[in-house]
Amino acid sequence: MTRLFDHYDALPDRFFDEVISRDGTPRVHYEKMMRRFIQLSPEDIRARRELVNIFFRNQGITFTVYGVDEGIERIFPFDLIPRIIPLPEWETIERGLIQRITALNEFLSDIYQGQKILKDKIIPPELVLGSKHFRREFVGVRPPLGVYIHVTGSDLIRDDAGRYLVLEDNLRTPSGVSYMLQNRQAMKKAFPVLFDQYKVRPVDSYPQQLLKTLQEISPSPKPDPKVVVLTPGIYNSAYFEHSYLAQQMGVQLTEGRDLVVNNNKVYTRTTRGLQRVDVIYRRVDDDFIDPLVFRPDSKLGVAGLINAYRKGNVALANAIGTGVADDKVIYSFVPDIIRYYLNEDPILDNVETWLASNPKHLKHILENLDKLVVKAANESGGYGMLVGPESTAAEREKFAEKIVANPRNYIAQPTISLSRHPSFFNDNEIAACHIDLRPYVLYGKTPSIVPGGLTRVALKRGSLVVNSSQGGGSKDTWVIDI
Amino acid sequence: MLSRVAESLFWMSRYFERAESTARFLDVNFNLMLDLNSITSVDHPNYWKPLIMVMSNLENFDAHYQEYNVQTVTDYLVFNRQNSSSILSSISMARENARSIIESISSEMWEQVNNLYHFLQSVSPQQVHTDPYSFYKEIKNASHLFQGITDNTFSRNEGWDFVQIGKYLERADNAARLVDVKYHMLMPKRGQHLDLVKDSVDIIQWMAVLKSCSALEAFRKVYLSKIDPDNILRFLILDRTFPRSITFSICAAQEALWRISGSSLHRYVNNVDRLIGKTDAELSYTTVEDIYHKGVHEFLEEIEQGLIRIGEQLHLLYFAYHTPKIEPLDVSEALPFTGVAGGRANWSQSQQQQQ
Repeated sequence: MTRLFDHYDALPDRFFDEVISRDGTPRVHYEKMMRRFIQLSPEDIRARRELVNIFFRNQGITFTVYGVDEGIERIFPFDLIPRIIPLPEWETIERGLIQRITALNEFLSDIYQGQKILKDKIIPPELVLGSKHFRREFVGVRPPLGVYIHVTGSDLIRDDAGRYLVLEDNLRTPSGVSYMLQNRQAMKKAFPVLFDQYKVRPVDSYPQQLLKTLQEISPSPKPDPKVVVLTPGIYNSAYFEHSYLAQQMGVQLTEGRDLVVNNNKVYTRTTRGLQRVDVIYRRVDDDFIDPLVFRPDSKLGVAGLINAYRKGNVALANAIGTGVADDKVIYSFVPDIIRYYLNEDPILDNVETWLASNPKHLKHILENLDKLVVKAANESGGYGMLVGPESTAAEREKFAEKIVANPRNYIAQPTISLSRHPSFFNDNEIAACHIDLRPYVLYGKTPSIVPGGLTRVALKRGSLVVNSSQGGGSKDTWVIDI
Repeated sequence: MLSRVAESLFWMSRYFERAESTARFLDVNFNLMLDLNSITSVDHPNYWKPLIMVMSNLENFDAHYQEYNVQTVTDYLVFNRQNSSSILSSISMARENARSIIESISSEMWEQVNNLYHFLQSVSPQQVHTDPYSFYKEIKNASHLFQGITDNTFSRNEGWDFVQIGKYLERADNAARLVDVKYHMLMPKRGQHLDLVKDSVDIIQWMAVLKSCSALEAFRKVYLSKIDPDNILRFLILDRTFPRSITFSICAAQEALWRISGSSLHRYVNNVDRLIGKTDAELSYTTVEDIYHKGVHEFLEEIEQGLIRIGEQLHLLYFAYHTPKIEPLDVSEALPFTGVAGGRANWSQSQQQQQ
């Protein structure tokens, strides 16, 4: 009988494998996990998968595929094999992210008040002031505690040497944290014995910590400020997460139509009249949050909210205008930003990035288009992207014209080989799939991170794309004491 | 409580009750058909058409089907999504409402709505035709389980009261429609008592009406085996202790409304409480002779119209997203009568939200 890992296709020369080291032996912190999985028959695996599927379905953790008469609801694919991170490794990630978020917050605070970093010529001003997400309406507005980015979810990857690199800083309304929490619940149900063999750091306190963070930024001195979650509504793909977090924090989940602004104060509409709101954890983008200031056609927002915010009568998490700091062009300056504000060297490196707006870089980009990944600075979700090694000469030629026409809008990075991790293709076959890691940083009075995060996995063979819309799934992520 | 959340609780409960009522009517009608087959030849349209009159409207049905028989009516009332009060539509709407307030209800409530929805998705029309008994039982039990779970896992606050209001207003409305249509079909001569032998077909039919409200045993305890129309009207309309009678449902809805507003007997603080108090008083001080005097259809029609206005005022007072304007209603504002067959549309959520 062949066993589960007998045909596992780790290629340690080409990719960093999370489980199997270069000499072909399992890494120490994965040994118990491998032993446990080898003991399980395909029937055992199937039974556990069924248990997990029922758990997710009953919780309503589904996302909807539209376009059909009845929206088809799918379960976000969950892989049963957990990703394990030893504590010392985690501590480096934690220090690196806190350093990075602290510096990025300093940067935002500076950009909206004083713009010292531009005057000192660390970043060309046109790159900041010309960014699509720079909100000139907020120059001079200081948010409570001077904090802009209360919730962030940075995407980390590992290169072929196993180094953790930051791929993206998500500073606007990052999602996925509910999967981190639910994956853990599912894993505890399906593998209680294995779970017990490891000392897994808990993540369950995240909602309490989020609530604490939100209460800390309340502009009102009330001991028990009123916090609400603002969602675009039931048809948003992250709706489940919005309602789950509201429920776990014990606060109201509101839609734009539940809120009303009167005399620059924000209220909820209730069966007993209006009630004052102090803090809004908003999961609605800047563009849609107030039709009087941003997109006038938005029905998701609250008219007058921004003025109430500017008056200091309500706090928003995250603040308005944080997108300027996760612009892909600004991203390339983050190491300089860290050095400038903190006078420290970055603990976590960036992925090497060339800016088309820099003539020297532009030359390099155009000469190496077949080896690079070129991205539009302000797009997300894979739009406006060229993957060099997979492109045709004609595509490259066309893309080169676009880059030359609008260099500010493009950056290029080497094609990175994400680290790989064994994952189930079906009940008795595992394969090496590419993964990334999104830990969640909370920032009220001080920044903090719950030990864990969302590990996304590309479940299509050979695919590098971990997005859920492209066949991606997720894993539980264990930070363990060794 | 957020107005939107209150509204969704109300409709979630209301749609659940609606699905249950539809299942009851179909179940009983199916059994009735089997009973009558042995006595007399069953004239399908006459047995199935009234169900459409009670639970939906004829025009919409005619747009989809050629004739009234067990297959078409079952399909229309159970599976048809174009019928906004089919069991599938009702449970989908109950679930959409629940989904939009998932953080406000207990997870057990959500699981129950969700389970029923997934059960319905998995059932084929063929299964319902071959084993209707099990299917309808499943729906009825699911509804009871939902209300039971709600009673045992949901805090007794305003939210729970809106769940009660939704359930009981829908139940009162369904009971009024059922009696109205069946009385019309089986209309006996005034004051006539049925002869057990001669009128066995009618008796079986009246028993079916009682059964569809789970009222047969409770009825017998009060009136023994005297199955005559007077007693049946008395029981289904006026009984104060049976939980599916119109009077009981109105009282239960009224109590929930009072808990929310602080109104009490003889003292109302808003228009909803005034209107439901009026309906309650009408029922409380009416005898079955009064009902005959007015005309059974006219009496029930007045109850149904009253329920529609209660629903409208409830919407304005607690759910509407603007400051409620409370204006006195007078007779001239009463809605035009559309008859039993066309009245149903007044009771759907989307129409109220457009106001």
